[in-house]
Amino acid sequence: MSHMVKMENGQSQTIQEMLGCIERYNPDHLKTLEAYVEDQAKNNTYDLEANLAVLKLYQFNPHMLNFDITYTILLKCLTNLPHTDFVMAKCLLLPQQMKDGTVQTIIDLADILERTDFTLFWQRAEVNRSIFRHISGFHDSIRKFVCHVVGITFQTIRKDLLKELLGGIEDSTLDQWIKKYGWKHQGNLIVIAVQDEKIKTKNITEKIEFDNLGGLMAQCL
Amino acid sequence: MYSGEDYGSADYYDDYGHTGDPQLDMEYERNYYATRMPDNVKFFLQNFCQAIKEGVLFDIQNMYENTFPQISDHHFDKSAWPDEQEVAAIVDNDKVFLILYKELYYRHIHARIPGGPKLDQRINSFFNYCDFFNLIISSQNPVSLELPDIWLWELVDEFVYQFQNFAQYRARLTDKTQEEIQQLCVNHSNVWSILCILNVLHSLVDISNIKKQLEAISQGNDPQTVAGEFGELSFYKMLGYFSLVGLLRVHSLLGDYYQAIKVLEPIEIHKKSQYSHIPACQISTSYYVGFAYMMMRRYADAIRTFSEILLYIQRTKQLYSTRSYQNDQINKQAEQMYHLLAICLVLHPQCIDESIQQVLREKNYHDAMFKMQCGDLEVFKSFFIFACPRFVTPCPPAADAPMEDYVKDPMEHQLMVFMDEVRQQKDLPTTRSYLKLYTTLPLAKLASFIDPNASEDDVSKLLIRLLCFKHKMRNLVWTKGSSGLEGSFKSGSELDFYIDDDMIHIADTKISHRYGDFFVRKIMKFNDLNRKLKNIHI
Repeated sequence: MSHMVKMENGQSQTIQEMLGCIERYNPDHLKTLEAYVEDQAKNNTYDLEANLAVLKLYQFNPHMLNFDITYTILLKCLTNLPHTDFVMAKCLLLPQQMKDGTVQTIIDLADILERTDFTLFWQRAEVNRSIFRHISGFHDSIRKFVCHVVGITFQTIRKDLLKELLGGIEDSTLDQWIKKYGWKHQGNLIVIAVQDEKIKTKNITEKIEFDNLGGLMAQCL
Repeated sequence: MYSGEDYGSADYYDDYGHTGDPQLDMEYERNYYATRMPDNVKFFLQNFCQAIKEGVLFDIQNMYENTFPQISDHHFDKSAWPDEQEVAAIVDNDKVFLILYKELYYRHIHARIPGGPKLDQRINSFFNYCDFFNLIISSQNPVSLELPDIWLWELVDEFVYQFQNFAQYRARLTDKTQEEIQQLCVNHSNVWSILCILNVLHSLVDISNIKKQLEAISQGNDPQTVAGEFGELSFYKMLGYFSLVGLLRVHSLLGDYYQAIKVLEPIEIHKKSQYSHIPACQISTSYYVGFAYMMMRRYADAIRTFSEILLYIQRTKQLYSTRSYQNDQINKQAEQMYHLLAICLVLHPQCIDESIQQVLREKNYHDAMFKMQCGDLEVFKSFFIFACPRFVTPCPPAADAPMEDYVKDPMEHQLMVFMDEVRQQKDLPTTRSYLKLYTTLPLAKLASFIDPNASEDDVSKLLIRLLCFKHKMRNLVWTKGSSGLEGSFKSGSELDFYIDDDMIHIADTKISHRYGDFFVRKIMKFNDLNRKLKNIHI
């Protein structure tokens, strides 16, 4: 669904066009942008630039601050891990936002994820379920992040450990994830990838190009 | 003995001039200049005005870069230049010159007057900038004005600086009277407002078509074909370019690192171009870009950005050795970048150029780096505080805010975000130091190194640590294209590993000794010696 922004001269612009010019700081467009944020939560889409523009409008116009939208933006940032979107959003928060209890809970959740303590994360997520009920596909986005970290770390991993990291999922669900990433069963282990090809000791030896020495050699003639 | 009255009378000074008492002499000179402009100042201003009117770039640049600072040192060390009316009278009321003169006049006040500019001076300086930008942006046709690039850069940079300075001034409610606060927050709430600043910078970018021009250049086309009537003039083109850098700085000051890098998209930061001939601009660009990368946890990009520019500074060192306000800035910024580089190297160890490594060694950064590796958070903090930009809030304090000093708040916030990141990574250096010793290592054994009484539970804690290591060491790294935001995930750090069930396999980077530099230096020395010997005639 595309969102259009009404301009003062009666014409319409797409959000992307509006964000590319000075209009991005016009508080009149805040409502449209906020609706766009809610849309992203509902339809499981994502637009970091627009979301940061909303936080920036709050920064410039603290009286227009909307906490629910703030939560949604921060949670959407988490769905885009391992990218550092959450850090960028956090840098734009106002003191009033930082003092808010729910914002603090979300920051704590982010901290747990950044420390990759996934078991603890799923426990906390269970307790705070209500915060992200409206973010469609939230759990699976986090699982995607878990799979990313597992994918870069393991050659083989115990099946029960993988299940735990993914939030204690059923065997059938696990099989879907395994299939999605092209992993393989091997007894009670899951084969993730052949890592020894990619991760090997590097030897940096000195390479001296002829061009770098040409001048010097000419001098010596 | 003289009576007090004699000291105070103006006649006394006029008749006798210097008294021999330095305190009195200073006062004497001040009175003297307040009433009469020295002839050489008058002469200079008239010449300056003439040169600008005729557009003699070489002369303008010389007067701007040399004469103006010399006269400032000599006559106006801690005082203001003559005010507008006085100057207007001797330059035939030349409007354009007066605007430019006032730009320098207020800039001088910001830099040299102890205690900083007063509120009305800040406000007037702002309006003077508005006059200047209105003059050049709002006119139907391009104005026929030519100024040296260095002036245009310093003008844009100063404009952003004064905004930053004003925002900090505005946030300090403790040293102001009720009346001043009223003035600040109600009567002049639009002065130096963030929207004004952004508007000016965006307008300069738009009017000069600088983005299109840069795109054309990167595609190998002629920028003149897309420059337009304004942008084809060097004056507008350079203002547009410098405004992009100005926007980078403004967004960084607000903590918006995404936009900061985004606005530079048309500029290929790591390439030399026809626009990179102003060292201060280059250095400032790299400082803010590197800082933004560091905050976004793109350490490899930050390290590359800092090393490149620090090498450049090293090579051109003699340019900044004379003491001037601009050079002090450059040297300070270089030192800040060494601090930031040290932080990045602790968080993301990797090979860097040997000569940069040497400076880190000579200036004793290694002690602090060692402490940071051991998890000393205070050192991280003090390095960050020394090296970060002076952050500002875009809005004045709320009308009902308690009378406090809010200057530090935005910095504290950025510091907190950064320290959260550091805390998340606190255990990684210890883990790294153990891994460095092995090529394979069972999980349980590593757990027992960290804690001799390790249990099953500690092995799963260790696993979390190792996952965190992999996650934090794998960052976006720019590879190609003009957008500094793009990149692909890479593990650029010198140590890497993977886990096969319960065995850790470690890959380290081994660097063999480098001989090239050593021999090149010796050969040059030998050559030099030979040459000298040949020149000796007995």
